[in-house]
Amino acid sequence: MTDTAPEAVAAGAPDPAPDPDEAQRAIEYCYQQDWSDGLPLVPASKPLVDQFLATTSRDPDEIIGSLEQVGRDCTVYLAAVNAAMAGCKPEYFPVVLAAFDALMRERAARGGGFQSTSGPAPLIVVNGPIRHELEFNTAGGAFGDGFRPNATIPRAIGLIVRNAFGIRQHVLGQATQGVPGRWSICIAENEEESPWEPLAANAGQPGGVSAVSATLTRTCEFIDNRATGVTEEVLRDFADTIGRLGPQIFPQTPVALVLCPEHAQQFAGSGYSKADVQNWLIEHSGRTVGEMRRAGKGHVLRFGASADAEPVSDEHFHRVLTEPRQIPVIVAGAKNAGISMVVRIFGEWSGIATPVGEKIK
Amino acid sequence: MPNAILDPTGTAATKAARPAAARAPRRASLHGARVGLLINTKQNAAPFLHEVGRLLVEEYGAGSVTARTKLNFAVPESGEVVKEMAAEADVIVTGVGDCGSCSAAAAADGVVFEAAGLPTAVIVTDSFRATTEAMAELRGAPGFPYATTAHPVAALGEAQVKERAAGVLCDVVALLTEPADQNA
Repeated sequence: MTDTAPEAVAAGAPDPAPDPDEAQRAIEYCYQQDWSDGLPLVPASKPLVDQFLATTSRDPDEIIGSLEQVGRDCTVYLAAVNAAMAGCKPEYFPVVLAAFDALMRERAARGGGFQSTSGPAPLIVVNGPIRHELEFNTAGGAFGDGFRPNATIPRAIGLIVRNAFGIRQHVLGQATQGVPGRWSICIAENEEESPWEPLAANAGQPGGVSAVSATLTRTCEFIDNRATGVTEEVLRDFADTIGRLGPQIFPQTPVALVLCPEHAQQFAGSGYSKADVQNWLIEHSGRTVGEMRRAGKGHVLRFGASADAEPVSDEHFHRVLTEPRQIPVIVAGAKNAGISMVVRIFGEWSGIATPVGEKIK
Repeated sequence: MPNAILDPTGTAATKAARPAAARAPRRASLHGARVGLLINTKQNAAPFLHEVGRLLVEEYGAGSVTARTKLNFAVPESGEVVKEMAAEADVIVTGVGDCGSCSAAAAADGVVFEAAGLPTAVIVTDSFRATTEAMAELRGAPGFPYATTAHPVAALGEAQVKERAAGVLCDVVALLTEPADQNA
């Protein structure tokens, strides 16, 4: 095999083999400009970026996001340059634009989220036919590696924040530790094995359209529960993780649930809609005030409380969620084990998805 | 000619164009001055700044103290708030910056208050020097002076907060007034 490969290339390929020395010089040039997130960038040229811009009717100079506090804007053009550098294909660009729009709907993203000590990571969720058109991974390894659109689209968002907004670690970026896998989480929902409507339908985009939702997150925690047929026992396992003390800094602690098909189908099989799951978890997720106080989290209750509020007893059960809106539910991954993820939302999800390829009003 | 590698930052044109921010004239002393506190809502920021205000009255003869709380610690205050504070105060003390966004926002607020003619003391914890300075530079005020206290502040008890406030007092006064040798 190895001795026939060069001949096949020479006979079949119209272009000469790429020059690795030139490619390496270009990659090093990008590092020297401080444009890189640490990994090699695809050097962006005008012909390449023009291919990105050709996928949208939007004006290259249109401002698609601003960070007022640092006085920086991102235009369609800058998004295209960063998407090209991230390794996106030109046809991914409408999804990059939709993901960025959805993310900039988040109050935390427009505020100081990208500068925060928590160093939050975007969770990007793609729905609709675009998942298959662009060959997103919609099956096993939903948080994992190996799929170009899933990997490069969130990286493009990270490069936009770094380059167009100018947020770099140790300067305007002040993450204490950050989030593992920041700029790498882009889930194409497993709509085919979900018993429920897709996330986009919960976010104002029903009817199976291609749309992107996004929020900022602080971490993912797995729930491995595959040995009980009692649905409420599985839900109780979720509630335990959702209600735990570590993430509590405000009275409310929103979470996204990335459910594996097995858990989602078990819940649905027991008659639970998404809303039923959300409401069950609202009721059962939390800790007693005594537990909070013993862990140094008593002050959490004071946020938003009036100064003359009655003191709360140690026995009071503090619920960390109050509204279904705080618990977006996504179905993702393979139907091969009961392994789901609780994703901690940084701030609050806007609840609004952005359609792919539609001019934003 | 080969294709150029494109710049993903979009800043080449804007860097040179940014004007330098104006700085308020310093006061000879704080005697009779109306002190405006801008509290950034972070844990212990309110008792810290109130103690600074109290000491400015008690030890430096400041005339009065008014306090406001930032609506969002992460972003700079609106022009309206700046205008309102300028009407009710002669000098501003703001902080305590002890996170990424709020330290940067404190610096941004400081630059704006200075441009509005109010000597301002920005207080951040010493873990956030880099972002405070970067933000001041972004706002056209490279080398913007500010005061620091040791990190962290949020975990301190009441007595420790008062000690810290007393510890930063000289720096605050120095930021708000002319150096003594300039008067001589």
